[in-house]
This record gives sequence, structure tokens and C-alpha cells, in this order.
Amino acid sequence: MRDSPKAAPGRPALTRRPLPGGTNKPRGHLKYVAPTMTLMVVLSIIPTVFLAIASLTNYQLGWSLDEKRFKFVWFENYIRLFSGADKAFWHSVWISVLFMVLATGIEMVLGFWLASMLNNSDSKLKPLMIGIMMLPLAMTPSIAAQVWKLLFSSEYGLLNAILNGVAGVKVTWLGPEMAFWSILIVDIWQFTPFVALIIYAGLRSMPDEPFEAASLDGASRWQAFRYLTIPMLSKLLYLALLLRAVDALKLFDTAFVLTQGGPGNATEFLSLHVYRLANAQNGLIGRASAVAVVLLIVVMVVSRFLIKKQRKAAEASG
Amino acid sequence: MNRIGHSPWRSAGRGVVLTLATVGFLFPFIWMLLISLRQKVDILQPEKLFAPFTLDNYRELFASGEIFPYFANSIIIAVVNTVVSLFLGTFAAYGFARYNWKKREDRAFFILSQRFLPAMAVVIPFFLMATLTGLLDTVWILIICYTLFNVPFTVWMMRGFIEDIPIELEEAAFVDGCTRLQALRRVVFPLVLPGMVATAIFCLINSWNEFVFANFLTITNAKTIPTSVMMYLSVSGVQWGQMTATGVLAAIPVLAFAISVQKYMIRGMTFGAVKG
Repeated sequence: MRDSPKAAPGRPALTRRPLPGGTNKPRGHLKYVAPTMTLMVVLSIIPTVFLAIASLTNYQLGWSLDEKRFKFVWFENYIRLFSGADKAFWHSVWISVLFMVLATGIEMVLGFWLASMLNNSDSKLKPLMIGIMMLPLAMTPSIAAQVWKLLFSSEYGLLNAILNGVAGVKVTWLGPEMAFWSILIVDIWQFTPFVALIIYAGLRSMPDEPFEAASLDGASRWQAFRYLTIPMLSKLLYLALLLRAVDALKLFDTAFVLTQGGPGNATEFLSLHVYRLANAQNGLIGRASAVAVVLLIVVMVVSRFLIKKQRKAAEASG
Repeated sequence: MNRIGHSPWRSAGRGVVLTLATVGFLFPFIWMLLISLRQKVDILQPEKLFAPFTLDNYRELFASGEIFPYFANSIIIAVVNTVVSLFLGTFAAYGFARYNWKKREDRAFFILSQRFLPAMAVVIPFFLMATLTGLLDTVWILIICYTLFNVPFTVWMMRGFIEDIPIELEEAAFVDGCTRLQALRRVVFPLVLPGMVATAIFCLINSWNEFVFANFLTITNAKTIPTSVMMYLSVSGVQWGQMTATGVLAAIPVLAFAISVQKYMIRGMTFGAVKG
């Protein structure tokens, strides 16, 4: 199994044999890995436990802990959420999931489309295009969202000035009907390049031979796409899907800057719902914590599922 | 690589779509730049595309000096957090790359899963704990919180970079009598240095742009650039000129950094999964 240095590029990415130099000690990895593991456990488990405890109380912002009003209400906060009486909560769950599905779906499709066009293009401007596609990813999201807010402004916004000039209509982009879609537009602007660049990297590294063989065998372009491109890219597709789905689910800054969850609660995604309950005006830490626990669980379930899929795809493709 | 679409129409159509998309991706940034260069009276009149440019907004920004602490905090937090994350993360990455144990992949994915914690869910306990420990509204609480996403990132990035180094080089060093730490310092470290610089730059960008922790765990003293958007929302409306000027100034270092790690961009976006 010993690879010579010459064969290094073909070497499996993960080294599975023990090293000399004291490496055969059974727990040799610990001194390298333990500090980080400890930090990660402390920084994730403790807040999670703290959050879970807070969600079982009626604690409000500003109460001292020895106050008489402060008590454990046990599962009251959760019962309120799941008895169906809390319409605002279910609205948040619904629009968060809808946003995740739409944003991820649209960005994956548009990203794939752009990536394959980039891959087939032999324009000299390609490096410039790729450079520009990194801009939405590098711009500070909260500031980018502010700029979009000005673009969306119904009186002073550029979008409406153009629409008015061309078609004579004005759209209230951040009004109750459109706000959700406006946030979706910003998200698509911000993250389609992300998906496109990842898939483009994958397309570029694909070998030509299987495609030549397939076309000799008379496979259609759709068949080549379905049975060659997709399987060969599956590891990357799952990775892009994982990162996009989870980040769309926890979306906060864009929506916070653009609408603060409004108008009314039209764009109150789960993160913003937590914020509204916990902010200085309401200060309902107990109830907000219960919603935060739900958000945490939803994100965990989605990320677990996609990580599993991604690991399988990565193992299959080696 | 031209597998499909040799027809000139197809390639022309592709050119048009790609150009339009690129312009679309670029536009909000250009718009921010244009707004920052306009007179206050012109900002709310989008049809005045080519109104005379002015540096007044930048001058006012520097004259009031309100924004300086934001920049100072952002720089301190980003730099300290990056140093800590890189130090811890690289050691862990070495352990993951060069040792093999039964639960290795599960542990690696446990670390990765921290990256997926929703900030808004953990910000409540962090707020309560920071209040109890007196860390609220200090740069320290943000330095601690940012390790939550930068350490996992470093572990995964650096693991890839270390695995790229042929193990034989280290073995040769052992044969020559190096201890593991000596081999790490003299062989591995110089070879992964470019990767480490790239990883550091990504960590800096991540910290620089973070909003949720920065907004809710600070009050006045430790505010960072992304939260400055809240400062410009005054009762008389949004101060667009100064806000966009801040945005441009905040974007300059990020863009300079992004250009410098262009080669590693894809790798950084995919946690080292794509060695593009």
C-alpha cells in the first residue's frame, strides 16, 4: 500500500496507515484535537443547555433571578407553540420553510445554468465575470441589504423609477404582498454566484472521456446530463445544497435590515420571530427561547440529513 | 471543453446572458459607490444618474469621526479571532489529517456542525451568560462567539491543505531524527503557509461581515461595522450618503482580500471540499 512520492497525486485523500515517530501511540491525536474539541463542546453544549433551561421558564428581560415572578413553567411555552393557538409561530415556520425551499431551489437551478454557460464559454472576459461574481459574497450583508432597501424604495428607488419609465407602474416592493419576494430577490442576488462558482469548479474538473463515449453510444444531451453530469457532481451538489438550505433557514440580517419582519409579520422568519419576542420591548426570554429551541432542532435535522447525504455521495465518488 | 453548443447563435446567446447576469451581480455595489459620491439632495432622485460627483459624504464621515470606533472594533475582533482560530484549528487539523482513530470522521463532522448553529438561537444564552460574566458589550464576547464559525472553517480548510502534503516528507524528517513537533514546524508548516494565509483571510472576512452576534451582544462600546447601518437610521430618515460611504470603506479591505485569495476562493466556499 506504500505510495511513492511520485504517485502522490493519485494518493487517497485520507491517510489510513499509522506513522512512525511515536504515532503508534493509541491516543496520539488527542493533544492536537482535544483543545478544539473542548472549545467547541463548551461553546455549543453550554449555551444549548442554557437555552433549553430558559425555555422552561417565564423569565423576562430585566428580571433578577431571585424575583418571585420568576418560575419554572415547564412545558407551557412549548404547549403554547404546538397547541396551534400561536398563529404567529406557525406563520414563521411556514415562511421560513417556504423561503428555504424557494431560495435553495432557485439558486441551485440558476447557479447550475450559469455554471454550465461559464464552462461552455470561451470568452476572454471569463476571469472578470468570475471576479465580479465574488462581489455579492464579499459585500457585508447588512450593508448590501441597506443598498437594496434604497433600490426597493417605492418613492425614491431606482427599480420603481425604471418600472415607471418603462411600463408606468409602481410596485411597493417592501409592502405586505411583495416583501417576502423582495427578500428572496436579494438572497438570489447574493448566493446564486456562490452556487454557480462551486458547480463551475466541479464542471471544470470533470473528465471528457465519459462524455465522448456517451455521445459515440448515441446518448442524448439530457441522458448525458442525467446519468453522467449529475452523478459525477453529486458530492458538490449536496454540499451547495447543504450550505444554502441551512443558511436560508437561519436567514436573519437581510430580512432584519430590509423589513424588520414586517409589514405586520409578513416576513417574520423564525430568526426574526425569536428576535421580536426577545427584543427590548417584549423581553419574553422564556417564550423566545422555546422558539429558538425549535429553530435549533429544525436546523439540526436539515443539516444532519444533508450532511449524511453529502458524506455518502463523497464516499461513493471517492 | 466545448462539449455542446458550437453554433454561433448559441454562443452569442450565452454571451448575452452571462453579461447580463454579471451586470446584475455588480450593480448593487456600483449603486452604493455612486450614492456615496452624490450630493445629499440628489440621492433620492434616481433619475439624476450623472449628477456631479462629490466627496462630501466621505468628508463628513471623517469629520464627525463617529465611525472610527466601529472600524477599530472590527479590526481588533477580526484579527484576534483569526489568530486564535488559526492556532487552535491548525493543530486540530493536523490531528485529523495525520492520525486515524475510530470516531475520527464523526468528530470532524461534529466540529463542522457548529458552523450550522443558527446565531439567533444561541444569541439568547450568550447574551445572558455575557451579562452574568460582565463580558457584554466588550470585544471579548465577539471574539469568543466568532470562534464558533471560524474554528470549524479552519479545521476543515487546513485539514485539506495538510493532507495535500505527501506524508513521505514528514517520514523522511522522522528518519532524520526529528520529533513530531519539529517535523511539524520545519516541514509541514512552511508547506502549508500559503494555505494558512488563505484560511486566515477567509476568517477575517467572516468576522468582518458578521451581524447577529455583533448587533445583539454589544450596546455602545464594542459595535462593529456591520451594525453601523443601525446608527444611520435617524428620526429624520436614513443618512444614505454617510451610510454608503461607510459601506464602500468597509468593502475595500474585503475586496482586496478576496482578490488576493481568488485562487482559493472555491476551496474556501466549500470548506476545502473542492481543491479547485
